[in-house]
Amino acid sequence: MSIDTGRQASRSVEQATPPWALAVKRNGSTFGLLSLALVLAMAFSAINPDSYATLLNVESIAFSIPEVGLMALAISVAMTIAGIDLSTVAVANLTAIFIAWYSRVGVEQGQGQLTATLIAVAGGLLIGVLCGLLNGLVIAKLKVAPILTTLATMQIFTGVAVAITRGEAAYGVTDPLSSFGYNSLLGVPIVFWLFGVVVVAVWLLMTKTKYGVSSTMMGASRTAAEYSGIAYTWVVTRTYVLAGLISAVAGLVLVSRTASASAGYGSSYLMLAITIAVLGGANPFGGRVAVVGAALAAIVLQLIASGLNMMGVSTYIYQIVQGLILVGVFVVAFERKRVSEAISRRRRRANAQTSQTNQQKEHQK
Amino acid sequence: MPLALQAKGITKTYGGVKALTEVDIDVRAGEVMCLAGANGSGKSTLIKIISGVETADAGHIEMDGVDVGRPSVTDSIDLGIQVIYQDMSLFPNLTVAENIAMSARVKARSKVVRVQAARSIAARVVERLGLQLSLDEKVENISVADRQLVAICRALALDVKVLFMDEPTTALTWREIDSLSRVVEQLKADGVAIVFVSHKTEEVFMMSDRITVLRNGAVVKSGAAAEFTPDTLIESLLGYLPSEERQLSALPVEDKAPALEVHEIGRNDLFEGVSFEVGAGEIVGLTGLLGSGRSEIAESIFGILPIDTGEIRVAGQAKPIGSVQEGIEAGIGYVPEDRLTQGVILEQSIESNLIAASLDKVSGRGGFLDSGQMARASQHAVEKLGIKTDNPANPVSSLSGGNQQRVVLGKWMETEPSVLILNGPTVGVDAGSKAVILDILRLTAEQGTGILMISDDVPELVSVCHRVLFVRRGRMDGALEMDEVSPERIRERLDR
Amino acid sequence: MKAYTRRSRGARLRVHEIWDRYKGENHETALLLLILALLGVMAIVEPSALTMTFVGDIIRSGIVTLALALGLLLVIISGGMDVSFPAIAIFSGYATITVMNFFGVDGALWPFLLASIMGIALGSLNALFVARYRMETLIASLGTQVIIRGVLLAFIGSVYISTLPAQLDAIGASSIMRLGNSPVNILVLPVIALAFLVSWMLRKTMFGRSIYAIGGDRESARRVGIRVPSVQVRIYLIAGALAGFAGMVHVVLSRHASPFELVGTELNVIAAVVIGGALDSGGRGSVKGTVYGVLLISLVQNSLVRLGVSSYWHVLVVGVVVLVGVAIQAQASSREAKTTRILESTEASA
Repeated sequence: MSIDTGRQASRSVEQATPPWALAVKRNGSTFGLLSLALVLAMAFSAINPDSYATLLNVESIAFSIPEVGLMALAISVAMTIAGIDLSTVAVANLTAIFIAWYSRVGVEQGQGQLTATLIAVAGGLLIGVLCGLLNGLVIAKLKVAPILTTLATMQIFTGVAVAITRGEAAYGVTDPLSSFGYNSLLGVPIVFWLFGVVVVAVWLLMTKTKYGVSSTMMGASRTAAEYSGIAYTWVVTRTYVLAGLISAVAGLVLVSRTASASAGYGSSYLMLAITIAVLGGANPFGGRVAVVGAALAAIVLQLIASGLNMMGVSTYIYQIVQGLILVGVFVVAFERKRVSEAISRRRRRANAQTSQTNQQKEHQK
Repeated sequence: MPLALQAKGITKTYGGVKALTEVDIDVRAGEVMCLAGANGSGKSTLIKIISGVETADAGHIEMDGVDVGRPSVTDSIDLGIQVIYQDMSLFPNLTVAENIAMSARVKARSKVVRVQAARSIAARVVERLGLQLSLDEKVENISVADRQLVAICRALALDVKVLFMDEPTTALTWREIDSLSRVVEQLKADGVAIVFVSHKTEEVFMMSDRITVLRNGAVVKSGAAAEFTPDTLIESLLGYLPSEERQLSALPVEDKAPALEVHEIGRNDLFEGVSFEVGAGEIVGLTGLLGSGRSEIAESIFGILPIDTGEIRVAGQAKPIGSVQEGIEAGIGYVPEDRLTQGVILEQSIESNLIAASLDKVSGRGGFLDSGQMARASQHAVEKLGIKTDNPANPVSSLSGGNQQRVVLGKWMETEPSVLILNGPTVGVDAGSKAVILDILRLTAEQGTGILMISDDVPELVSVCHRVLFVRRGRMDGALEMDEVSPERIRERLDR
Repeated sequence: MKAYTRRSRGARLRVHEIWDRYKGENHETALLLLILALLGVMAIVEPSALTMTFVGDIIRSGIVTLALALGLLLVIISGGMDVSFPAIAIFSGYATITVMNFFGVDGALWPFLLASIMGIALGSLNALFVARYRMETLIASLGTQVIIRGVLLAFIGSVYISTLPAQLDAIGASSIMRLGNSPVNILVLPVIALAFLVSWMLRKTMFGRSIYAIGGDRESARRVGIRVPSVQVRIYLIAGALAGFAGMVHVVLSRHASPFELVGTELNVIAAVVIGGALDSGGRGSVKGTVYGVLLISLVQNSLVRLGVSSYWHVLVVGVVVLVGVAIQAQASSREAKTTRILESTEASA
């Protein structure tokens, strides 16, 4: 009897909560990241009033987000199935090298700028798909752990890039690509628009399709998913192909933006991308889709990078900050859970005592 | 006889669910106290609290009358408490000898260890129990029954004061149980206090001096074994006396192709020459000891452990079943043995779980899921199975065991299978849910589905199965037809 | 026809039995055969390369890898993964030299001790995140890797130190013997001694057996009374000490100190340990296998040089060898993870 009234009471409390508060509660981490971004933006603007909050700087931040944001997205997607993709930077570089190489060769062979661009981009994306396919098949078919697989393929992809470029950088892209990399549309860099489109597409794929739901289930519990007829090989292969494709898009962005590509480019990006993925809410143990979170976390990290850069802080310090954020995410989550458990345990004990005294009172009656 | 151990006022809550409410138990030196309770009654949790693996929210333990608070694992081992866990808790990568010697080593606070010493510790225990175990084999390579024996040996390798045995006989043959009971007698004579956990009534009466019954996390009855009869024990276990009456669903009148025919199927090292049929609308029981191959046969038919030899026909058609996907395509549904790891995805929503096996059905063009159809499908299942929830978007972990099992059943109902295989469908399920689940099975059968039910719950087999088949060591071992099915006959065959 | 099939089956069975007896607990024998096969290929393709100098080169390039691999081995057997050890190693090695230069002191033994102590201090970070905050070990060590490397470069120094203090430099130049033209440095001895020590520890101490127990089944380990967090802490502290020592060995052997070295070589070390039979899911692995793994990787790298393969191809070839080696181990262990047999053997039942 008393339990029932309690439940009704709690339900009416829920009804009394305004809808926006419920929305905040349900998407806690998204709102958390958004407010974090705002706070950071304001803080850095206050520290560097003349340079941080300028259109120029905002635009430069917007230019710098997509590359690493896409790599983080690739890792986040792999983490959904309790995997990881350490080869994302290597795939991006390989793609970028191919695009730069074909930009030159295609035009030299008399292809039009547009034709050469299309072939270069299509070829680059195909490379991403093939790299992802290799990762997926080795993990699913040969049963090699994702960490080991992608660590080895990272070296293989880098090795291919080193071998074909002889360790040197490849320069130059077609005109359409360079204007794609430099120009803005409605005040927002085109590469940022592309980033937005990819984020929305991946979000739709991961939350609204059979594949996405299957992969989330597979990540939450591989055994239960397999016992429900979800094919492990199918999900794993598709996931790494998707991660490879996203990495290739990152490669496309970086080659368009810098008009160069090399095997050793962005070696510090891997760590940054993992930090972004984790901060964005991806769970290394699987089962959580964090696409929008990854995008927001990428923005947060670039705000920090730009802010620290303006304060004249060395990149080494920025790396320390990244590492601290990465472990900090887990430490904060752990401590929060511990405190809330302690509180609820104390509450339970208090309840148990009151119910005991109540019983005693009833006995006395 | 002095009290060896007392647990007082033990309370434990998981999430919002109360697992134990102010439980008091005690056991004297030199007696066997049976802790009886249905699955999910809180027996295992209570044992884990006493052994320090879990921490209680309230209550304390007394050893020999001294308050020892809430001991940690090492405290409890030092106090002389040993546990044979239900899941055995062995190290698959280590040898039998090392597994047996491990707790002795831990207790001795050894720094340096010797292989020879471990072997001699192990050999001594194995000899004392009159067992035969290959000490140098890795545990991952031995049978389930042998693993259970290793777990028993490990607990007895130390001088123990209080011994907890959590369902130690599920995989053992009668002969092995017999030798175990002789060991128990020996330990009693040595003044060891033994807490024996079982849900098999025969064993309870054979082993114990005193019985404490746990139901829904609270002690409901406690007394000398002589005060109980099998019927009163079962009644206090479940809160009601299950009818062992047969309430069979009507078999279809017309002749349809059998829902499932398996012909001489076999899988390397697991089972061979297995043949039987399940008619459309028929409920067939398949039973045997744990580790007899009953689960493996079920999983092979479904496609998890594809068969090496033989043929499987579903609704008259021969189907190559080499994967779960092919099994589902052929029209087979499977409610697995271990609900928590194989059946449900705990942190995902009830709705997702309900559609997990029929994603193709609810997806439209381009692989996009039709949210309307998803909601309809899950609503349909929630209503049909009476799943108690106010919102199908809640995670499955918010449901009770019985309702979780209904979700698993609902998942397979949505695929509209020709054959439904259930492995222990009512394990860890409360009485109400159990009745509902069995009724749903009868109803499903009457609509033409063939049902194969793997179970060792005798009243349940008697109550719903038209026929009961037996498995022993990977081979079929006879059957009871329609009128032959009775509790006595099933028990007699299982105990043989 | 029938008789033929039966005989061939019998023969295969016997080969299998022999193989089962000699393959070693973690397929060490297979690895040894692979190493011999590679040497055989070398003997045919480039016989002139197979000199004592070649052996000396392999030992020299393998010694730092082995020192790093020993610590990692403990982590992997316990079911974890670590990518922070190269950062710990180079931090300890470089910082020790920096400290020596700053105070203008010299020494032969104590710098190794100091580096090991620094390694312990840095390893305690991993211990904290893994044992206390129960972080995924890969993620935790990725975090500590960048933090440690960042602190090294931002606060300790980012310049190349071209000359070591005299006594250390003397150790770097000393050799116990010569294999062909290749001197074998005296530091080979302590590293081999450490390998024996770690091997003994893993096999004969309760701590070592606890590492296997935790890797085999963590919850069971807890239930028999093994204090899992305390074992984990010790694992990461010892791994830190070994990494610190390895960092010093690296610095002394290369006779300069650069803060940019070692980080990036983690793949080779992880590969050596995993190819050596340590299961990434934990519970398995041995020093012997790891030594073979290190030898294999070192052999491949040195053979490429001897065969005159352009250095641009080395990264790729080593990557492929690693992937193939790791895949073979994964296949072997997944084949072995057989289901428990229920049927008695057919002969017994017949």
